Amino acid sequence: MDPLRSYLGTLLQEEITPVIMVLSTPLVEDACQKNGLNFIELLLPFSLFNKINVPVRTANDQPYRLQMFKLRLAYASDIHLQNYEAAEEHLKKVVLDASQKTLTDLISEPPQLENLLKNSESDLCPSWIETFNKELIRTLSFSEHETFDHPVACLLVVSSKDEQPINRFVDILNTNQLPSLLSDGVMDPKVLKHYLLLHDNQDGSPEKITSILAEMRNTYGSNCKLLCINSAQSANGNGKDIQWMPYGSHVLRNDDIACFLSTDDINAVRDFMLDLSSNFVIPHVEQKIRILNQQVAATRKGFRNQIKNLWWRKGKEDTPETANGPIYTFSSIESQIRVLADYAFMLRDYELALSNYRLLSTDYKLDKAWKHYAGVQEMTGLCYFMLDQSRKDSEYCMENAFTTYLKIGSSGQRNASRCGLWWAEMLKARGQFKDAANIYFRISNEEPSLLAAVMLEQASYCYLLSSPPMLRKYGFHLVLAGNRYYMSDQRHHAIRAYRNALFVYKQNGWSYISDHVHYNVGRWYSFIGILDVAVKHMLEVLACSHQSLATQNMFLDDFFHIVQSMGKKFEVYKLRLPVINMASLKVLYEDFRTYASPSDVHVSESLWQSLEEELVPSASTGRSNWLDSQIKSSSSKRNDESPVCVAGESVVVDLEFINPLQVSISVSEISLICELLAKSKEPDTGGASHTAPEEDSELKDSPSCRDSNSDGSSFTLSKLDVVLGGGETKRIQLEVSPKIEGLLKISGVRWTLSDIVVGYQYFEFDSKNKEKKGRRARRSLSHNLSFIVIKGLPKLDACIQHLPKKVFAGDLRLLLLELHNQSEFSVKNVKMKISHPRYLIPGNMEDLKMDFPECLEKQKSSGSKETPANVMLKFKNLLFSFPDDATIQGGTNLTWPLWFHAGCSGRISLYISIYYEVASCSSDMKYRILRMHHDLEVLPSLDVSFQISPCASSLEEYFVRMDILNRTKSETFSLNQLSCVGNLWEILALPESLSIHPVQTLLAGQALSCFFKLKDCRKVINTEGELTLQGSDVLMISHGCKEAMIDVSRSPLAEFHQHERFHQGKSAKGDSSIVDFILISKMQGGNGPVFEPGMQPKLLSYHSCHCSISSRCPLSWQMNGPRMINHDFSSSFCEAIFHLRIHSCSDAAVIIRLTTYDTLPEKNQSSDGVKLSDSAENEGGWHDISLVNDMKVLSSIPGNRPKKSSVDTLSPFVWCATSSTKLKLEPLCTTEISLKICLFAPGTYDLSNYELHWEAKPLEEGIADVWSSGSAHGHPFHLTVLHAPR
Amino acid sequence: MANTACFIIVSRNDIPIYEAEVGSAIKKEEAAQQHQFILHAALDIVEDLAWTTSAMFLKAVDKFNDLVVSVYVTAGHTRFMLLHDSRNEDGIKSFFQEVQELYIKILLNPLYLPGSRITSSHFDTKVRALARKYL
Repeated sequence: MDPLRSYLGTLLQEEITPVIMVLSTPLVEDACQKNGLNFIELLLPFSLFNKINVPVRTANDQPYRLQMFKLRLAYASDIHLQNYEAAEEHLKKVVLDASQKTLTDLISEPPQLENLLKNSESDLCPSWIETFNKELIRTLSFSEHETFDHPVACLLVVSSKDEQPINRFVDILNTNQLPSLLSDGVMDPKVLKHYLLLHDNQDGSPEKITSILAEMRNTYGSNCKLLCINSAQSANGNGKDIQWMPYGSHVLRNDDIACFLSTDDINAVRDFMLDLSSNFVIPHVEQKIRILNQQVAATRKGFRNQIKNLWWRKGKEDTPETANGPIYTFSSIESQIRVLADYAFMLRDYELALSNYRLLSTDYKLDKAWKHYAGVQEMTGLCYFMLDQSRKDSEYCMENAFTTYLKIGSSGQRNASRCGLWWAEMLKARGQFKDAANIYFRISNEEPSLLAAVMLEQASYCYLLSSPPMLRKYGFHLVLAGNRYYMSDQRHHAIRAYRNALFVYKQNGWSYISDHVHYNVGRWYSFIGILDVAVKHMLEVLACSHQSLATQNMFLDDFFHIVQSMGKKFEVYKLRLPVINMASLKVLYEDFRTYASPSDVHVSESLWQSLEEELVPSASTGRSNWLDSQIKSSSSKRNDESPVCVAGESVVVDLEFINPLQVSISVSEISLICELLAKSKEPDTGGASHTAPEEDSELKDSPSCRDSNSDGSSFTLSKLDVVLGGGETKRIQLEVSPKIEGLLKISGVRWTLSDIVVGYQYFEFDSKNKEKKGRRARRSLSHNLSFIVIKGLPKLDACIQHLPKKVFAGDLRLLLLELHNQSEFSVKNVKMKISHPRYLIPGNMEDLKMDFPECLEKQKSSGSKETPANVMLKFKNLLFSFPDDATIQGGTNLTWPLWFHAGCSGRISLYISIYYEVASCSSDMKYRILRMHHDLEVLPSLDVSFQISPCASSLEEYFVRMDILNRTKSETFSLNQLSCVGNLWEILALPESLSIHPVQTLLAGQALSCFFKLKDCRKVINTEGELTLQGSDVLMISHGCKEAMIDVSRSPLAEFHQHERFHQGKSAKGDSSIVDFILISKMQGGNGPVFEPGMQPKLLSYHSCHCSISSRCPLSWQMNGPRMINHDFSSSFCEAIFHLRIHSCSDAAVIIRLTTYDTLPEKNQSSDGVKLSDSAENEGGWHDISLVNDMKVLSSIPGNRPKKSSVDTLSPFVWCATSSTKLKLEPLCTTEISLKICLFAPGTYDLSNYELHWEAKPLEEGIADVWSSGSAHGHPFHLTVLHAPR
Repeated sequence: MANTACFIIVSRNDIPIYEAEVGSAIKKEEAAQQHQFILHAALDIVEDLAWTTSAMFLKAVDKFNDLVVSVYVTAGHTRFMLLHDSRNEDGIKSFFQEVQELYIKILLNPLYLPGSRITSSHFDTKVRALARKYL
């Protein structure tokens, strides 16, 4: 790129031009003021010549032509260096002016990246910044270390009205305060003078003037000119097309400007300026260059002069270093070189300028005149640039100048900025935008905030211009600039900078950055009163969960403050506080399915449906085959496009509100946004499709205006107020209840934050698989959120009274189911189904009349025995129908008893479905279902286990050992009653232990074993095969108490027992050798905090079913015979006869083989013994105390131990008679086998060395596998034989 | 240990996925945003530099006043950026290398979606320990 055509090139050609000092009289100014201008302003538009075309020769007589040329005009009074404060003020004004213009931009949308990059380089940077740069450079004019600002010529202007105009010329030269530069001797006072006589045509004819002009010419020579102005008689617009106002004058009276200037006047001014520059200034400068060049050549050029110069300067080295270096007067050679170089620069002879600048820089450096040195370096750099020579050199020079200026402290600071500006422009002209940005940044570091801000802004534009555009740097520097603008009270600019940077920081994870930008922009907008935009930005920072508590508070406070100052309720779409978890959206509504409490809805639909299979009419569930079902589902899908809800009943929307902040926020008036199209207005299907796009556009409106359209009477909305603590999440249920039939549409939710801001959000339906309850088919939510409202229907409410949340296992209670019909319609045909009949069964109406638990007690006249039959019936059919007459009229209640029994410990969910039909048959819905769901926790209380073992003394009796363990932490139980179910068995207390257990209560953690006798009453085989539940009971508490027996065969207990039987064992078939026990206990008022008062369990029942006799053998037998024999062994051996009674407990016929042998096989004995003890060892407190041990003490003969007795291989007795008997035993029969032994010596004998083998013939296949065959060793039977000599 | 040090991991989508102030200086409210600004702006420089060298450790790429930005670019173009005021280049290099090992372990987690925020507290404590060790 041609450096002359670059921005810097033109800038230099405009700014580094000859200066004309103007001296004028007050009358001159008066004449000019008629046009609203001063004299310089009058001339200024004509001081720039684009094609002056003046031939010039260089110092070496090289001819060239100057094309563009400019003269700078300045009043003598202005020719001085501006002081720092004035310059600051001036610059501030520039910025302030620009800010007025940007105000309109601030309301528009912030720029986007695409638009920004499309802009050309010049559009990018606001034009006022260029002006600012120029003004900044101008504030440094007329410094003494540079000469290009020193006046080249002096223009003396006197008005024709002045008295003695000739003398006035002299006067103004003398009286006017000449610039200090001239008086100080820095500048040559002998400047070229040009004399101008200004005539105001309104003051009279120009005759007099010609004489004055002639006189002037005589006095001052040919440099005299006449200029006539104000020829126009009235205000005209001749000068309108000329841009009069240069930057800096703030007169805005556009209509008055140049009003009296005729075209001739303007042309005269133009001609005068052309003449001045081409005929006087340029030749003068050219001539000056020649003279100076010759002087410099004489004194400085050539080897000799250089040596001399060097030596001379060395001598000056001792001179003390002043701040600005030595003062160079105009006559010094250094000044002359500088003037020469500057003049050469002005006339575009950059070669000459460069060589002189370089010559000069070494001198200044040696003199340590740093400011001068920096100035020269600066110009050297510019010369290099203009010559388009080595980039490195030019950059080096600029760098050098910049750092040197900075080195000399505050006086050089502004110069450094100017140097930096040129340098940056130079880099920009060469396309090194990144480096240019760096320079701007360096300048900004040295300058006060306002200048720094402008510099940083320019730096940011450089980053944008670099390729590829460095957007992040751009944004960062804009933010830095904005920050500085704000610090220097330039809010408009601050906002402009920040909002330009917004797009860089849009939508990424740099949270602190975007918070900072949005917060500040919002705040600043609020300062300048554009509140709506301020709020828009503040909204962005609301959900700042990553910020500290203090910052969050500040953000919120400022936000509320701004909104409050707006003075109206503000509605925000998608307000980010609180956050609404749209995924959590659940819609709960009731069509034919109604729910007792909201929590019931969360139970899965399939569970309910399986429960209700028998309950609902079969039409909806009946499917003949898979083909049929498919057709049905597709047709039904079309039919109920929208779900159905009932007028007067509410639709609940369940939503999660999350507060992301640590600050707690109050959210009030949360409600749904709904729409209800009444049935009459409901459009047909064709119309609906037409209205669809309309609704979309409607969605964009704020909800308030829509609320006003729809009359609020057609539905009611619930309004909720909540306070969300820091980080809290709350589920909120919002209701809408339509009042009339039609189409209800739920479109969104609205809320008020801190009573100030209204937020609203529409439900968006992007994902189709949103969780949705109460609906089987899942489809897009947009359909599901519009409901067809049908006519009001009866609705039952139900609750179970006194249902505890926690119960102990075994707890038996009477509960009340209360059905309430809210509506005015009556319902009929009420049916109920309960999911867990083990826990809950419906009772009878009579149960209500009696008190619990007295109603369970045994009646003296227990005549009604029909209940067991009922029980069995109900057990088969879990469906419970309320009596036919149980129609519930509108507004009435129905109470029905329910029996509750906590079967086993653990958590249990009870589901209850109640079906009812609408009495007044409406067309829309025939029936409804009420669903209830309760969760219970059943705590373990008493563990009861039974062990039944055959009694040795009687074949029909068994020992029952009951082990009870109290597993509660703090409760005490009293044991009341043990019942044996069924009439096959009878339970009896042990005769000697009517008060067997020492404690009647069982403390926490205590274990207890009790013994009972069980009598087999199965003498007669019950051919009916039906189990009756009469049973027999043992009262366990002492007789002193007047507690009554509980009748286990009565309704609730018997039914629960059936369910327990069903649950505890698979084989519910009446196996006759299986016993069921029911233990009834009461709680003895523990001190545990489990129950609230009044909820104490009154009665606990434990059902232990299918207890079998813990023997592996279907047989029980008993040896009968003498225990002690006195015999005289001297005469003969002794014979004894025994009878073995064998009883079969089995249901099948058994074939028995009895084998006796004289020596015991070891294996048999040990295995049998182990088996028996195995089962016994596990129970606490129960030890298998073998009788053998006792015998040992008694007996001196170790005959009972076959191992020990094997010393002599033969046992001391032998079995006589049959050694093996085989017989068949019918079920439940007893038989007797007689046995005989021979004894040879006195002693005690164990007659256990026989074996019973059995083989059962099963009645059916698959049962009693264990007992099919086996063998058992004989029971020990001790016979003592004493020698009794006759 | 450095007075100011802000460590940040930037995913290939230029989104910060892990941030930690690991300096010993008392944390100021404004520092957090300033650090983010500097690091965010430095991404532009990294973009230029990353393709000019085969080394992963780019050394100090940018500076703002007395704060220096050192960057380490992984093969997946995830950038580890450290804003610091100390000049311990070797330490920083070791720090980056060890952090990369930790980062790879995070990546190996099948439940971690690359480019998402690293929330592992284990990773956080390890990084802070490394910062104490090397910086």
